[in-house]
Amino acid sequence: MRALMFKYLRNRRFAKFYLSCLAAFFVVAFFMRPSAAHAVGEASTAAGQAVKETAFRFFGLFSDPRYTTLEISALLAVLGIAILGLLYALMLMRQVNAADKGTPRMQAIADAVREGANAYLSAQFRKIGPLIIVITIVLFFTTQSHETAFKFGRAGAFLVGSLFSWAVGFVGMRLATTGNLRVAAAARRSYGEAMQLGYRTGTVTGMLTDGLGLLGGTLIFLAFGEQAYEALLGFGFGGTLLALFMRVGGGIYTKAADVGADLVGKIEKNIPEDDPRNAATIADNVGDNVGDCAGMAADIFESYEVTIVAAMILGLASFGHKGVIFPLLVRGIGVLGSIISTYTVKAGPNDTSDTALKSVHRGFWIGSFISVVGFVLLGAFYLKFDAKYLAENATALAGFPGFDAAANSLNLPLWASFGMENTDMRPVLTCFIGVILAIALNKVTSYFTHTTHAPVQGLAKSCQTGHATNIIQGFAVGYESTVASVIVIAGALFLSFLCYAGTPALFVAYGIAMTGIGMLTLTGNTISMDVFGPVADNANGIGEMGYDAEAMEREQPGSYKRARQILADLDAVGNTTKAETKGIAIGSAVIAAVSLFASFIAIIAVGSEDKINLMTQHQYDSVLPSLAVAHPMVFIGLLIGGAVPFLFSSMLIRAVGRAAFLIVKECRIQFRDKEIWAGTKKPDYGRVVDICTSTAQKELIGPGFLAILTPIIVGFLLGVQALAGFLAGMIVVGQLLAVFMANAGGAWDNAKKFVEDGNYGGKGSEAHKAAVTGDTVGDPLKDTAGPAVNPLIKVMNMVSLLCLGLVIKFNVVAPTGENATRTVGVVVSLICALAIGWAIWQSKRETKELKEMEKEFN
Amino acid sequence: MKTHLYFTLAPESLVASQLTPSEFGTYLAVGTHRNSNGQAQFFEIDPEWRTDALPMRDIERRCVAHSDGAPRKSTYLAIYRVLEHIPLSAIGNLHLATPDGRTLSIAPAASIPPDSEDRFHLYQEYCPAQPRVVSVLGPVRFCAHLTDSAQPVSVPKIVFSELKLGNLAKNPEATGLGNLPYPNIDHLRDCLREFTFKPSKPTKVFIRNVSDSVLYRTIRGGFYVGHQDNIKFYPMPSPDELEIKYHDWWSSALSTFGS
Repeated sequence: MRALMFKYLRNRRFAKFYLSCLAAFFVVAFFMRPSAAHAVGEASTAAGQAVKETAFRFFGLFSDPRYTTLEISALLAVLGIAILGLLYALMLMRQVNAADKGTPRMQAIADAVREGANAYLSAQFRKIGPLIIVITIVLFFTTQSHETAFKFGRAGAFLVGSLFSWAVGFVGMRLATTGNLRVAAAARRSYGEAMQLGYRTGTVTGMLTDGLGLLGGTLIFLAFGEQAYEALLGFGFGGTLLALFMRVGGGIYTKAADVGADLVGKIEKNIPEDDPRNAATIADNVGDNVGDCAGMAADIFESYEVTIVAAMILGLASFGHKGVIFPLLVRGIGVLGSIISTYTVKAGPNDTSDTALKSVHRGFWIGSFISVVGFVLLGAFYLKFDAKYLAENATALAGFPGFDAAANSLNLPLWASFGMENTDMRPVLTCFIGVILAIALNKVTSYFTHTTHAPVQGLAKSCQTGHATNIIQGFAVGYESTVASVIVIAGALFLSFLCYAGTPALFVAYGIAMTGIGMLTLTGNTISMDVFGPVADNANGIGEMGYDAEAMEREQPGSYKRARQILADLDAVGNTTKAETKGIAIGSAVIAAVSLFASFIAIIAVGSEDKINLMTQHQYDSVLPSLAVAHPMVFIGLLIGGAVPFLFSSMLIRAVGRAAFLIVKECRIQFRDKEIWAGTKKPDYGRVVDICTSTAQKELIGPGFLAILTPIIVGFLLGVQALAGFLAGMIVVGQLLAVFMANAGGAWDNAKKFVEDGNYGGKGSEAHKAAVTGDTVGDPLKDTAGPAVNPLIKVMNMVSLLCLGLVIKFNVVAPTGENATRTVGVVVSLICALAIGWAIWQSKRETKELKEMEKEFN
Repeated sequence: MKTHLYFTLAPESLVASQLTPSEFGTYLAVGTHRNSNGQAQFFEIDPEWRTDALPMRDIERRCVAHSDGAPRKSTYLAIYRVLEHIPLSAIGNLHLATPDGRTLSIAPAASIPPDSEDRFHLYQEYCPAQPRVVSVLGPVRFCAHLTDSAQPVSVPKIVFSELKLGNLAKNPEATGLGNLPYPNIDHLRDCLREFTFKPSKPTKVFIRNVSDSVLYRTIRGGFYVGHQDNIKFYPMPSPDELEIKYHDWWSSALSTFGS
C-alpha cells in the first residue's frame, strides 16, 4: 500500500496533478473565506466589541480608514510594477528565444544539456513534492491562530512560496539552457550580440525573482493587512525550503559531474575539458545550470522573500503600517531600477571582456543610483510621522525619543530628517547602507577571488612549490576573506544601529531589516550577473563541441578563432560576475537571519506569533536579558548551533565524493569503447546524467531533515533560550563557514586560471598540476557546501520562528502558557531525533540502484 | 590490409603494423583497452625499404591480420640502434600522438630554416637518447655537432626539436618567463650561465633524461632528423593553423601535463 502510494506520488503527471489540485484548493479557500469571515465579522459586531477585534476580512485594508487612498494606490502601483517586471522578463525571454539557434550540431549539444537539466528538476520536484504537501498540512494544523483564514493563509502561502521559488529556479534554468545556444550562435557574428543575449538570459531569471517576490509579498499584504506576517512566514518558509533543496541538490549535482568529469577526463585520460568523448561532459554542463542558475536564483529569491518578511513583521511591530508599506514601495523602486539598468547593459561588436565587465558594472551603478534617488524621494514623500499617526500607532512613538507632542515635532537630527519637518529618513539611510553593503561585498569577494588581485596571484605563485603549499595558502586566503566580509557586514549593521541609536532594540532590528531590503534592491541585476556565468560557460562548451572550425573558416577566414575568443572572453566575464554575486548571497542571508532573529525575540516576548501585532516595547525589552550568553542554556545552544553548519557541509561534501566516484567508474567503462574513444560513437551521456540526478535526489534527504528538524529538537528538548543560542551560533558559524568555502574555492579556481593564462609555467606545468588540485578541492566547497549554507541559515531561522509558539508551550525545560506540558516536547524531540538519525543513515546507505551500478562497474 | 612500417622514437623501435598512422598513434598512446595513456612520436617509413642490418625479412609472414579479421596492431622488428640504419630518404611523415591518442601528421619541409640569432637554444632530443640540452648552437650546427664522430661523444643520427626559451634565449637573468613550463627554471638559468663562464662549451645537459611528456606547445620551429648537414626538417604548424585545422589535436595537446 505504502509502495503504491509513493509510486503514485512520484509519478510526474500525478505529482503535477495533486500539486495543482492543492493549489486550486487554496485559491478557492482564499476567495471563499472573506465571505465567511465577513459573516463572522458581522455577527461579531452584533456580539460586541471584544469579538469584533478578532474578526478578520481579506483585503480589509481597502476599507480600513487608517490607510489613505494614496497608500492603497501606491500598493496597487507596486503590484503593477511587479507585473511590469514579469512582463519585462517575458519580453526578454521572447527576444532570447527569437535569436539564431546555430547549426544542428550545436543544437544537438544544447538539447542534451536541456534535457538533462529538465530531467533533474522534474525528478527533484517529484521527490520533494510529497514533502511540500506534508509540510503544508502540518503548517495548517500547527498555526496557532484560531482564525481559520490564517491557517489557510500560512499553509497556502507556504505552498505558493515554494512553487514560486521552484518556478524561478526552473524557468531560469530552462532559459539558461536555451540562451547558451543563442550566445554560442551569436558569438560567430558579434561580441556585443553574444554578450547582450547572455546577460538578458540572466535578466529574465532576475526579473522573475523580482517580479514574483514582489507580487507574492504585496498580494499577501493586500489580502491580510496587518496580519500579513501570518501568511508571510509561510511564504518565506516555502521559498526558503525549496531554495535549500535546489541549492543542495543542484550543488551536489554540479560538483559530482564536474569533479567526476575532471578526474577521469583531465587527470586520468588527459583529454580536454568539454571533450565530447567524455561521458560526463553533458552532465557537467547540466550541472552548471542546476547549480548556478536554478540554485542561485532560488537562493536569492528566498533572501528576497525572507528580508521582506522580516522587514514587514518588524515594521508593523515598530512603526505600524507605514513600517510595513515602506519596504514594499522600496522593492517597487528596486524593480524599476533593475528594469532600466539591466536594459542599459550592452557591448559593441568588437568589445573585449574588460569593456563588457565595465558595462555590467555600469548597469549595477545605474540601478543603484536610480534606487537611491528613488528611496530619497519616496522617503521625503511618504515617511511623514505626525501626532495623529503616532497616536494611532502607539508603538511607533518609542522610535522618536525626541518627539514633542505639543509642537507636533519629531525633533530628529538633520541627518535623520534631511531638514524636512516630521520626516523620518532613517529607513532611507538604512536602505542606502544596504546598497553600499551589496557593492562592498562585491568588492571584497572580487578582491579575494579575482586574478587581478594579490590573494589569487599569491595563491598561483604558491603552486610553484607544489600541491600542499597551494592548499595551505588557499586556506589562508579563505580564512582572511571571512574577516574582511565580517567587518563589512558588521560595519553595515553598526551603521544601521547608529541610525536608530537611542531607540529600543526593535527599531534597530527594523533598521537592519531595511538594510537587507536595500541590499537586495537590485536583485534583478544581481541574478543577471550570476546567471550570465553558467550561460557563458555553457556557450563556451557548445562552441568547443559544436563549432565546425573548418566550415567556419571556409565561409569567413578568421571567424572561428574570433568566435572562440569571444566565447572565452564571455566565459571570463561570467566567472567574475558569478563570483561577485556569491558575496551578496551570503551577506543577504546573514542580514536576513539577523532580522529574523529580532522577529524571533518578538515572538518570545508575546508568547506566540499571532499576538505579535499586540506587542509592547516593554515586552520586547524584557526578553533580552534572558538571552544573554552567560546563561548556560543559551551557551549550549550556541555550541550546537555552531556545529550544525559543519555537519551539514560534511554531509554535502561526502555526497559529492560518493557521486563523483560512481561517475568516474561509469566514464572509465565508456572510455573502454573503442568507437567512443575514436570519436565515431556518441557516449551514453544520459547514464551519467541519471547517476547525477539519482544521487543528488538521494542526498537531499539527510541535509533537508537536518535543516528542518534540528531547531525543532533543540527548541523542544532544551527550551527557548537554547534555541535562541542555537540560532545565534548557527548564524555566526554558518556565515563564516560559507564565506570561507566560497572564497577559498573561488580563489583556487581563479589561481588555476591565472596559471593557465601563462603564468608560473602555464598549462601543463607542475604549477598547473598543483593549481588543478587546489581547484578540485575547492570545487565542492564553493559550489556545493558553501552556497547551501545560506538557505540552511534561513531555513533554520524560519523553522524556529514557525515552531516557536509551540516550543514555548511544550518544551521539556520550562513549558509555559496555557495547556503547557512536557510530554509533547519529549515526543516531538524523540520523533525528530529518530528522523534525523534515519536521514543520516539513509544518506550513507547505498540505494538498490547505486548498488546495482557499482556491481556492474566491478 | 596494407602493412605500414613505423619508426617509434621512445622506445626506439621499428614496428610493422596494419594500422593507419592515425590508428597507430592512438594505439601507441592509449593501448588496446584505452587503460593507459602516454605521448608518442613516430615516423612513417617507406614500406618498400629494407635493410639487412635489421631483421626485416619475415615482415610479411609475421605481420598478418588476426584470425577474426582484426588488423595486426604491432609487430616489433627491432628495438635497438634502429635510427642509425634508416636512411633519411626512407623516412616519411612525422606523427605526433597526444597522451589521449590524437595524432597529428607533419610532412617534411622542402628546406631547412636558417638558424635564429638567439644567443641560447634549448633542445629536446628524442632518439637515440632523451636528454634536454641547452646550447649556443643553432639547430643545424647542433645536429652537426652531435653527429660529428670526431667529437668525444657523438651519435650516428639524431631526432630532436628546439624548445622555446622565451626571454632566456637572450639573457639567462631575464624575467617574465610566465609561460615556460620547464621544471626547475633556476637550474636552467645555471646551465645557460655556464656558457658565459666557459665560452668554448657548445652544449650543456639541462635534464639527463626526460621521462614526462614533452609539451607540444613549447616546440619552436619543428622537428629535425639527420646527421651532419644531412637533415630533414618537419615544421610545426602555426598556433592559428593548429587551432583551426587541427583543433582536436591542439586542444588535447594543450591539456597534457608534462615538462
